[in-house]
Amino acid sequence: MATKDPPLDLFVAAVRALSRAAGVAAALMIAAAVLVICDMVIERYGLNRTTIWQIDAVTYFIVAATFIGSPYVLMLRGHVNVDILPMYLGPRARFALAVFTVIVSMAFIAVLFWLTTKFWYEAYDGNWRSNTVWRARLWIPYFSMPLGLGLLLLQYVAEFLCLVTGRSPPFGIEADGRKAHA
Amino acid sequence: MTPTTQGAIVLVATLLLLFSGVPVAFGLGAVSIVCLVFFQGLDGLRVVAETFWSGLDEFTLVSIPMFVMMGAAIGSSPAGKDLYEALDRWLYRLPGGLAISNLGACAIFAALTGSSPACCAAIGRMGIPEMRRRGYPDDVATGSICAGGTLGILIPPSVTFILYGIATETSIGRLFLAGVVPGLMLTGFFILWTLFIIWKRGFRSHAPEFRYTWRQKFASIPKIAPFLVIIVAVMYVLYGGVATPSEAAGVGAAFCVIMAVVIYRMWSTEQWWAILRDTMRESVMILMIIAGAVLFGYMLTSLYLTQTLAQAIADMHVNRWVLMFLINLFLLVCGFFIPPAAIILMTSPILLPIITAAGFDPVWFGVILTINMEVGLIHPPVGLNIYIINSIAPDVPVTTVMWGTIPYVLCMFLAIVVLCAFPEIATWLPDTLMGPTRH
Repeated sequence: MATKDPPLDLFVAAVRALSRAAGVAAALMIAAAVLVICDMVIERYGLNRTTIWQIDAVTYFIVAATFIGSPYVLMLRGHVNVDILPMYLGPRARFALAVFTVIVSMAFIAVLFWLTTKFWYEAYDGNWRSNTVWRARLWIPYFSMPLGLGLLLLQYVAEFLCLVTGRSPPFGIEADGRKAHA
Repeated sequence: MTPTTQGAIVLVATLLLLFSGVPVAFGLGAVSIVCLVFFQGLDGLRVVAETFWSGLDEFTLVSIPMFVMMGAAIGSSPAGKDLYEALDRWLYRLPGGLAISNLGACAIFAALTGSSPACCAAIGRMGIPEMRRRGYPDDVATGSICAGGTLGILIPPSVTFILYGIATETSIGRLFLAGVVPGLMLTGFFILWTLFIIWKRGFRSHAPEFRYTWRQKFASIPKIAPFLVIIVAVMYVLYGGVATPSEAAGVGAAFCVIMAVVIYRMWSTEQWWAILRDTMRESVMILMIIAGAVLFGYMLTSLYLTQTLAQAIADMHVNRWVLMFLINLFLLVCGFFIPPAAIILMTSPILLPIITAAGFDPVWFGVILTINMEVGLIHPPVGLNIYIINSIAPDVPVTTVMWGTIPYVLCMFLAIVVLCAFPEIATWLPDTLMGPTRH
């Protein structure tokens, strides 16, 4: 059983709350995308108007929802993995493998966070516009990448801390081989 | 370093990382970044962020969350139960009628949700206890639902086809149509096998003493019909070329949510949140894998690995059917371990040039690939559906479920063989309704 550690528990709780908020935001963006598509269909096929911003907006909503929803999905263990090897390993090897995989994922997310932050800043600095009729300012949708990946990195740090302090089982697999519910 | 050596290193690194249990999306991304830096230096990282973004910045991809939402709205409502009841009340007096109504319900629910686990869970929850209660053997009851659930990715609309369509730039409408007849054929195989095996084991379905009245027979239909109308309308709009898949699915999703609210009175915030959360969770998972796979694909092409592999296979001059057999074997083995979305996104850009060079129709191949993925869903060790059945009927041992699925896996192999012998089964419907493919 994990020992109590108030600062750590507080940090984990705070990160989880952030991830949950990001998840709600992402879900609302998907809902917004549905509404914008309906509007587009009515305008284009019902009223025979040309649509300008809708296709871009819907696409940006979905891409942003992907990045921003990612930390919440990680918290729910929703990012699929091949868990055949972890299932067959003993507890110690499974723990070691879990530490390895979390570090690999964290490293990848960290590198991507840094690269996308740079990319976003370039777009902001150069005032890049989309080459569609709307001429959207690209730094706005691009911002979802560093934002989502930053939160994802935080969630991964929390996962890592929970894993090494025994607060959550490796790969969410309990000692009796059953999958724990997130 | 030759491309072949590079290819071998990439292959081994990818497999090792994926099997270590890293989330597929991040594993693919990590391999791509490491390989780019390893073979091209830090310069290789320049376009990573842009590639990651542009992999998702595509209006067609919007259709994925939309179709997922259609399925989530229907899946979280009791529509599956009503559908099952409706079919059972019409077919209960036929010998083996319950097996037919179960598999039929799977096929129709597949069209409604496009998701294999959802289909399995919705129909299995009613179907399995009912079949066991009426004396069907455990392995047949669980195996048939397990297999029937996989129809979800073959009968349109299907997220699997959307992913294949996007990865290979094949028409999604055409793929959907190509899945219809093979889907019905496979349903037919499943039903025939089920009837045969229960007959052979001496099980005679005896007509129950009670009879449903006509009123009861018609009772569930008004609840199910609106959803079927929405799906048919979405399909019609797609094939009429009236709207893009994303538009059709977006409006369909809105209608499905409205119908769920109106018919099943799903007013509460929890029910709305459940639909949105399930949609978000599933879509984010798939879209992240897409972004990772696009980066992976970029890495493969920028190192000339895809081209080298396609060339190497073309140079071997093997018989095209031997080639098809090997590809099937490869997909099958992948399907045993890796989730369908990841396999399709990783392999189809590599396989497509090989397939077209050998003179196969990409739409037809999409169907073959999907059936392979269906096998993976019910075949150990991953076999997602097996675990879903296990959670519905925990008292049936997993091994019984597994043995029960084996004959249905053979049905799928038979379907692949039949489709190889008569490709028209898949291509006839799209060619008739949309005109022949332009090559």
